[in-house]
Amino acid sequence: MKYKIIGGIIAAVFLIGVIGTILVITAQPKNTVRIVSDGEVLYTIDLGTAKDDTLVIEKDGHHNTVEIKDRMIRVSEADCPDQTCVKMGWLSSSSMPIVCLPHGLVIEFTDETGDVDALTR
Amino acid sequence: MKVKKLTEMALLTAAALIIFVIELQIPYPFPIPGIKPGFANIITVYAVYHYRAHEVALIAAVRILLGAVFTGNFMALIYSAAGTLLCLVAMIPLKKLIDEKHIWMTSVIGAVLHNTGQMIAALILMQTPQLLVYYPFLIVSGCIAGAFTGLSAQFITKRLKASFGKGSSRD
Repeated sequence: MKYKIIGGIIAAVFLIGVIGTILVITAQPKNTVRIVSDGEVLYTIDLGTAKDDTLVIEKDGHHNTVEIKDRMIRVSEADCPDQTCVKMGWLSSSSMPIVCLPHGLVIEFTDETGDVDALTR
Repeated sequence: MKVKKLTEMALLTAAALIIFVIELQIPYPFPIPGIKPGFANIITVYAVYHYRAHEVALIAAVRILLGAVFTGNFMALIYSAAGTLLCLVAMIPLKKLIDEKHIWMTSVIGAVLHNTGQMIAALILMQTPQLLVYYPFLIVSGCIAGAFTGLSAQFITKRLKASFGKGSSRD
């Protein structure tokens, strides 16, 4: 009996995870992207108007190269050990940011308009 | 600590380390931070059921520390330490509730909590609440990886009984 209860709890947790995953994957992309390093917003970019560009973001002697191309953004190269940020490819879901855990870098869609920062950049 | 027990624990730690290092060489189709099968935890789950709490903690701690030394990734050390801590805190009492035939259940709960610990560590370290969107992925992968790890631990239990001998692993 107790195994049925435990099994039921496990199944419920698994289902919640699956539903959450589907919600995250299907979230639509937005226009404005921001690049955050350790909680500090470095860039806010409007992808709708942004020109193709390459940004090198350095921190503590390490770097991530961010590429903007055809209104999309990705990490094209990094010297982190796991390369997860590079493998994530182009940013596509508004609820799933590109993350480089070793360097504390996050690239995500945001609701703010990026005009001001895009101009000052 | 008897020499035989010390040797067993050292063997288990070495096996876990080998699994850990080999696992890192496998490329994964899921480009999400923190998602990997965690095959080395087969040993952790096995140890939970056959050794005392502090002995399990020792095996896990040495594996995590040496794993970080071998791979040179000390950020991963913080994440796996946080995950393993939470995982062991749950699994060690759970072995009283769940018997050896249902190790996979303990393992699934442990794996989900392991990923929860990593999530908490990442949230504290990076101060980025948006990371929470990865949590559903971590739950799903934890359930799958945990079930696999637990079943593997169930299978090796039979094999290791023959090599480690009856009774010796319990004193």
